[in-house]
Amino acid sequence: MNEIVLECRDVGHWFGSNRVLNGINLQVAAGQIVALVGPSGCGKSTLLRAILGTHPPKQGDILANGRKVTRPNRDVGIVYQNYSLYDFLTARDNVAFGLMLDETSLLTRCLKPFEYRKLRGVHREKAIAYLEKVGLAKAAHLFPAEMSGGMRQRVAIAQALIMEPQILLLDEPFGALDEATREELQMMLLRLYQENREAKQAGVKPPYTILIVTHELNEAIYVSDRVLGLSQYHEGGEQGATIVYDKAAPVFNPGDARNFEEFERQKNELRNAVFDPEQNQHHAEYVAFWKNLK
Amino acid sequence: MLVGQPIPLSQRILLGATCILLLIGAYTIWSETLSYRKREEVAKKLPPLKSDLETIEAQLASTPDESDLVQAKQDLQDRISRVERDVLAAKDRRVPTWKTLYTDGLLRVTEGQGLKKNEYWLWEDSKATASRLISGMLAGVVLSLGLGILMGAYSPIEAFFLPTLSFLAKIPPTAMLVVFFILVGVGEDMYVTMIVFGMLPTLAIAVFQSAKKDVPESLIYKAYTLGGSDAELIWNVIFKQILPRMIDAIRLQLGPAMVLLVAAEWMVAGEGFGYRLRLFYQRTDMSVPYLYLMILGVAGLTMDYMLIFFRRYLCPWFGE
Repeated sequence: MNEIVLECRDVGHWFGSNRVLNGINLQVAAGQIVALVGPSGCGKSTLLRAILGTHPPKQGDILANGRKVTRPNRDVGIVYQNYSLYDFLTARDNVAFGLMLDETSLLTRCLKPFEYRKLRGVHREKAIAYLEKVGLAKAAHLFPAEMSGGMRQRVAIAQALIMEPQILLLDEPFGALDEATREELQMMLLRLYQENREAKQAGVKPPYTILIVTHELNEAIYVSDRVLGLSQYHEGGEQGATIVYDKAAPVFNPGDARNFEEFERQKNELRNAVFDPEQNQHHAEYVAFWKNLK
Repeated sequence: MLVGQPIPLSQRILLGATCILLLIGAYTIWSETLSYRKREEVAKKLPPLKSDLETIEAQLASTPDESDLVQAKQDLQDRISRVERDVLAAKDRRVPTWKTLYTDGLLRVTEGQGLKKNEYWLWEDSKATASRLISGMLAGVVLSLGLGILMGAYSPIEAFFLPTLSFLAKIPPTAMLVVFFILVGVGEDMYVTMIVFGMLPTLAIAVFQSAKKDVPESLIYKAYTLGGSDAELIWNVIFKQILPRMIDAIRLQLGPAMVLLVAAEWMVAGEGFGYRLRLFYQRTDMSVPYLYLMILGVAGLTMDYMLIFFRRYLCPWFGE
């Protein structure tokens, strides 16, 4: 079950004379929840936009599901930190939006209105099911302006997941939220990971592959099963940031207490490898995820 | 009272109504005063006539059968009664009283007038002006929306049209009227063309700016990840997102469209509000014009409120 859903091959990017990314090699397997951390300005957003396809990399290739990414498409879903929902749609219609866009076209909706109405009923039911999965079935008829930040992010995640993308990108999704809401949403991600584990045990491809960019080291370690560090603080850093840390993170069940000792160890590792401008040592020992797996 | 401090609704209504009543009161005083002066002016003719009558009656008393005198007395009496009727009917046509507005304004335009028996001015004028306005605005709105959204969605289209449109938007539409009269003639087509080209530059630019500014690019990218095509993006995302602001932009264009239409009708029309206004201006008879102005004001307010209501119905998600 190590099907690779996202691959970055020697990805590099620059803006004029400003080199941002260099030599990024990365493979994400199905069912992984990967946290991407790094110091401010290291190029996390640039990498995310490259994977999304809105700003393809000037060097190297990014493959999603084996296909080269040249523009935003169904294979890569996204949840932004802000402006995540369509103001003119209710929560239910926001989640069902993707199904409508993907399965019908403007022309068929005009020319075959009755068929479309039936299909729309099916979409709406599926949307309610996904809203239940993120714990928001009661808010189905609210508009985004009537929802709190936490509710909006949940709906945005449901909106992306319903499309069953190869990989879902979360760009600092909980950054604008308060602590309690953040914890609830982290728990939600853990529940999704639990579904992944059940699928793996049943021999089915795990449904949720997620790449979450976050500033919070605690969050990164708690939510994910693999932590990536992107940093410009390494030998050859003037050429651009690269992956300087790639190790597994402990897996938690939803509702487990957080093991802060375990966190501290890994956090110190991360601070040394990723965030310390003085530590420019060779990072091979930290980029060890696949090695450790064997 | 602090700056910006609100007041209760009852006070608002009271203050607003007071202003309206003051306006009406001032106008009443002014119009009645002017009419009174007109009556006085005409009435000045009476005393000399009356004294002449007295002289003749005195003469008749001494010579009762003088036929010339009898005739003269009769003539004088007729003249006096005519002058007295004129006094009663004297009115200032420039600032008509409310009664005159009713008799010479409202009654005249709602009763059969003109060469044809069934020609009701109010009906004819309203039909003409309204049909020109509505056809012009419909065509103008559709074209502006289409162009504006395309400009907002595709940068090449924006780069192509923007400089020209910005320039055209600055030319006062009333100055452009001569172009329409020459190129399109003075028929109904001309009015529609004129309103369309008067609205198009400004409204298309407003739509384009809204499509650029009010649709965050994250929503566009997200729609692509949800499997949307370019056409679906334009209709289901951009258009739906900017719709309430578009309705507001259309409301703003109603005024300029009416200005342009009345100006054109003033110059070349054979029926319509602008034509009737010019007609009565040339006669210096303001009863009908004042009435028409009131009708235009009410119609404008009605159209404005209809658009607001339309916006609330279509876009319940958009706060005031």
